[in-house]
Amino acid sequence: MGETILTMKGIDKSFPGVHALDHVDLEVRRGEVHALMGENGAGKSTLMKVLTGIYTKDSGTITYEGKEIEFHNPKEAQEAGIVIVHQELNMMNHLTVAQNIFIGREFMKGAMIDDARMNVESKKLFNQLGINIDPSEKMGNLTVGKQQMCEIAKAISHQAKVIIFDEPSAALTEAEIEELFKIIRDLRDRQLGIVYISHRMDEIKVITDRVTVMRDGGYVGTLITRDCTKDDIINMMVGRVIYEDPKTKSMVAPDAPVVLKVEHLCAGKMVQDVSFELHKGEILGFSGLMGAGRTETARALFGADPKERGDIYINGKKVDIRSPKDAVALGIGYLSEDRKRYGIVVDKSVAENSTMANLKNFIKGIFIDKKEEDSVTKTYIQRLNTKTPGTDQLVVNLSGGNQQKVVLAKWLVKDCDILIFDEPTRGIDVGAKSEIYHLMNELVAQGKSIIMISSEMTEILRMSDRIVVMCEGRKTAEIDIADATQENIMHAATMR
Amino acid sequence: MEKFKNLPIVKKLGFNRIVLVVIMVLLYFLFSVKSGRPLDMGNVLNTVDFMGFLALGVTFVIATGGIDFSIGPVMFCAGLVGGQLLVVNGWPLWLCLIVTIMVGLAFGIANGIMVAYMKLPSFISSMASMRIAKGIGLLVTNSAGVSWPSSGAENDWYRNLVNYNGIPVGLIILLVTAVICAIVLNKTRVGRYILCIGSNREALRLSGVDTRKWEALAYVICGLLAGVAAIMYAGAITKYAAGQGDVFNNNAIAACVMGGTSMAGGTASIAGSLIGIFIISMLRVGITAMKFSPDWQYIITGVIVALCVFADIRSRARKK
Repeated sequence: MGETILTMKGIDKSFPGVHALDHVDLEVRRGEVHALMGENGAGKSTLMKVLTGIYTKDSGTITYEGKEIEFHNPKEAQEAGIVIVHQELNMMNHLTVAQNIFIGREFMKGAMIDDARMNVESKKLFNQLGINIDPSEKMGNLTVGKQQMCEIAKAISHQAKVIIFDEPSAALTEAEIEELFKIIRDLRDRQLGIVYISHRMDEIKVITDRVTVMRDGGYVGTLITRDCTKDDIINMMVGRVIYEDPKTKSMVAPDAPVVLKVEHLCAGKMVQDVSFELHKGEILGFSGLMGAGRTETARALFGADPKERGDIYINGKKVDIRSPKDAVALGIGYLSEDRKRYGIVVDKSVAENSTMANLKNFIKGIFIDKKEEDSVTKTYIQRLNTKTPGTDQLVVNLSGGNQQKVVLAKWLVKDCDILIFDEPTRGIDVGAKSEIYHLMNELVAQGKSIIMISSEMTEILRMSDRIVVMCEGRKTAEIDIADATQENIMHAATMR
Repeated sequence: MEKFKNLPIVKKLGFNRIVLVVIMVLLYFLFSVKSGRPLDMGNVLNTVDFMGFLALGVTFVIATGGIDFSIGPVMFCAGLVGGQLLVVNGWPLWLCLIVTIMVGLAFGIANGIMVAYMKLPSFISSMASMRIAKGIGLLVTNSAGVSWPSSGAENDWYRNLVNYNGIPVGLIILLVTAVICAIVLNKTRVGRYILCIGSNREALRLSGVDTRKWEALAYVICGLLAGVAAIMYAGAITKYAAGQGDVFNNNAIAACVMGGTSMAGGTASIAGSLIGIFIISMLRVGITAMKFSPDWQYIITGVIVALCVFADIRSRARKK
């Protein structure tokens, strides 16, 4: 490790209602690979966005190569030599490798683009990195691993001095990861500073020199990787005090029947051989880090996305769910994590949204019975304590928490027996949050069953009777609430 | 102004529809005064009748966020096929009228399947249907077009569907149909789902609704009404040329947009579309009455459409 190249000190950033970064420190030296770790929402991405000028910080200092700086946009950061290699690659598949690398700064020959020269320059970059890619190949024909190499080559071509890898290994095969590590070590030897964001504990041990851990927007500490164990890191990641009382034991009767059984569900990379059971009156928590495949599992189960394999049984009977229509007919309701896109029709009224899943029952002759629609909507507005001036208010005018209640009303009007809550309290204020928790408990007490996907550890521990943990498309653990701790959940969530 | 907009009666009728009616009345007086005699409403109604049916139909399609600009040529195709069977093949009139409507319906079904089930962009399915409709019209009549029987000839009673001894029967049928369309759009499941498809298709699908079926239905309604329009066109004009009709779908779509139906989908007004058609028809007759070239109507409607869509985009952006 050489001298310090980049220091972020006391970085503070607030968004309306959220203190996203609370005096966070990060120091990167030349010739080191520095891991940045933390749960979902710990603030890693926000910190990197502040660094590269996507967000402006509220306070704190950034010192780069001995000078205090502040970038106003990613282009400035890039020109200064700080580059992010994103998890989701920003490549244009119809262009060649070389055209992608030099996009926006093409070599010209008069008024024409000089493709030959771009190919030569790309080849030089690849030789430097010791990788073998044909610069005139179309980007779309490369594997994800090779595309990532191109992204790295592009970063190098910007004379990068600090490269940030944002979960680079998530989409790669073992062999590709090996090759990636070789390149990263090579870059380290050339005295670049490298920030490596990943959830994979094993990789952190293999490739990084130091680890900085963040939690809930705050800085927890920095360790020398070889001096610490995996458990040390996990403890730093989850070592928060839980204020709300976690559930201590399952509220489900031991002989409660299985209402939903999923066997060997497969749907693409994100859902691989997932099996679980849901009991009557149970809240089954689904925990895991971003990209664990929980939402994808729910969507495949609900028929929203096609599945490749897998059997689903409801009350012991095998069912065939091919579309949301089938799922809803079988009494399953799905509250999406992305309310605005998948949950509500924002420019329609509260009443129209509430009856959307069950409009059939509001038909009198050929007409919609608006009186009945109105009165039922009113009952649910009262029951859920939804704050709206009336049933004809457009949903777009309601707050996030109240919009969520409208989605909930939709599934309650349909009277579903199995409800999938995907991040039920995301973006919702504290008051509405506890109301929704209260309601979930009420529902299971009435004999409904709930699958709750949540990225909030406290929510998982507070609400679930049993917890399924997923990691990269696979189920890695199933834990009874009595045995569940933040640590053993995080272990299973970083299993790979 | 804000106060006026918030009056209950104004809210119920719709502010922009009131504005449109005012514009319509102003246009009537403008044209009447400038040309020195009352605007010839009979002439206006001639085109209102059939273009009205086209506009009503395409309102449903636009409400889903789609577009159908095959309706003009489809109307022509239906009229050509029906007319050919009547005049050349000697089929009975009642059967020809049914066939005419069925041709429109068939195109509607085809468009619905292409868009909703085969996931073709509606722009492309329209283009395909338009060309097929023109091709059929040309083939069936040997490129010659066809003239439905004129008044006094045998089999002329279909003309009573447009005008019976001075009673504007066509207008009455159109208004009744418009009322039915408004009820379907605002009071039934069909309309509710069609508007939600335009607004947020995915949310509706995840609510367990078969969105494909209802989206297809919008195109079917549109095709059916294009078939009816073909009869109205025959009743008013009688002569069908082969390989044409484009101008009428442009007029119908322009009327929808003017009337407050959003090209983005999710918002639609049957009354608005109807008023829009009146304005466009009045422009045509009025401009000619003022001794301008009738070609000016294209330029004027073009400008109006651009302004209306711009206003719609602006009001949507403000809401967000």
